[in-house]
Amino acid sequence: MRFFREDLHALTGAYALDALDGAERDRFSRHLRRCQSCANEVRGLRETATRLAMAVALVPPPELREKVLAAVAWTRQLPPETEDAAARRSRAAHGSPGRPPSRFGTPRLAWFPRPASLLAAAALAVVVVLSVTQAMTQRELNHSRAQNQAVEAVLSAPDARLLTHRIVAGGRAIVVLSQARHALVLTTSGLPPLPAAKVYEVWFMAPGRSKPAGLLSPPTAGRTAPLLAAGLTAGDRIGLTVEPAGGTSKPTTPPILVMSLPA
Amino acid sequence: MSRRDLRVSEPGPRPPQGRDEDLDWLVRHVARGDESAFEAVYDQLCRPVYGLIRKVLRDPAQSEEVTQEVLLEVWRTASRFDPAKGSAITWVMTIAHRRAIDRVRSASAQTLREQKSGSVLAGSTEEVAEVVEARLDAERVRRCLDSLTELQRESIGLAYYGGYTYQQVAGLLDSALGTVKTRIRDGLIRMRDCMGVTW
Repeated sequence: MRFFREDLHALTGAYALDALDGAERDRFSRHLRRCQSCANEVRGLRETATRLAMAVALVPPPELREKVLAAVAWTRQLPPETEDAAARRSRAAHGSPGRPPSRFGTPRLAWFPRPASLLAAAALAVVVVLSVTQAMTQRELNHSRAQNQAVEAVLSAPDARLLTHRIVAGGRAIVVLSQARHALVLTTSGLPPLPAAKVYEVWFMAPGRSKPAGLLSPPTAGRTAPLLAAGLTAGDRIGLTVEPAGGTSKPTTPPILVMSLPA
Repeated sequence: MSRRDLRVSEPGPRPPQGRDEDLDWLVRHVARGDESAFEAVYDQLCRPVYGLIRKVLRDPAQSEEVTQEVLLEVWRTASRFDPAKGSAITWVMTIAHRRAIDRVRSASAQTLREQKSGSVLAGSTEEVAEVVEARLDAERVRRCLDSLTELQRESIGLAYYGGYTYQQVAGLLDSALGTVKTRIRDGLIRMRDCMGVTW
């Protein structure tokens, strides 16, 4: 087996660069648990790879900072992993070979988080928090239940994405978008309250036309209830304007938010 | 120092050491829900994270999206960072690289990449000036890369920046699998020693 082990050992470099695929990566991960010298080498090579990353640093779009910080405010953190849980998981992983939840979900790498369900968690936090803050009558509640189901359909869509954007008038828009369902859920925080004769109207905007996408409820505790906007077409942007109560069919004021949506 | 020691110890004053130690300290504070610590982490790491993801994915809109996911993931999973297993920056860059690779290797992203290569998305993201941040050690990295053999350099570049598996790299370079595997490893070891990485 000596040859085999040396052969495996040569994979430290490819492993450190994430250049192993599927089965080979899993096999090497298992090998790492037994081979301390391999684990040490991988660690050093990963630190080396980090230098390669630093060498290609690039300034991201400035609005990204705002988006990330807004999303952070809505995202619950994972609790620390206790030693017991870590050990249990490691044992379970030994016993059941066939449950990799993500490409990189090898048990050895519990240290690295898995990509799955982040968006769902963040998105759900938005809706749950916002729904609860709304005081409702029974009629509103019934309506809201139907609305919630539609909202949930967007949130649970496999392609659902969480996006945030600053609103010119103040506050932020938080959008969960599903292009597959041609719909999105929009909530806002920090929007200034409007006089009773005015309303915030949401639009699907494309060059040369704007389609009404719904009216925001008046903010409660600085937040508006989730608005389901359906009928999105490819290339649409989201717009927000202040309009006379009841809304209009075309925007009559300059938008305080224009947000482009990823395809 | 074990993970347990770190968890029970008081934060204490911010350590005066270099950037990397500072980042470890910040990430431990992020794990406690400290949003201002997270802002500091963002400011230190958004450029390398975005730069690496752009390098791998190329498409600006997708790269921005993945960068956002990665940084949010850092916030969400900060409590899982274990300084005994590596530096905080490597923890973050590993998440970033894997996320980018996940995109590249999923078939749907592949078609998306192809579709998007011809068209430009509307919006502000593509208007962003692409400025490579001048870092002191970037020059050193390049110098060390120059000290590698061509095959080492190409293999490492295609694997890390290109997001290819070493089998794909072997195909691209028309070399034997075993050769590419070893060139990646010995090239990286040479880089490590050239840059004085101590882990």
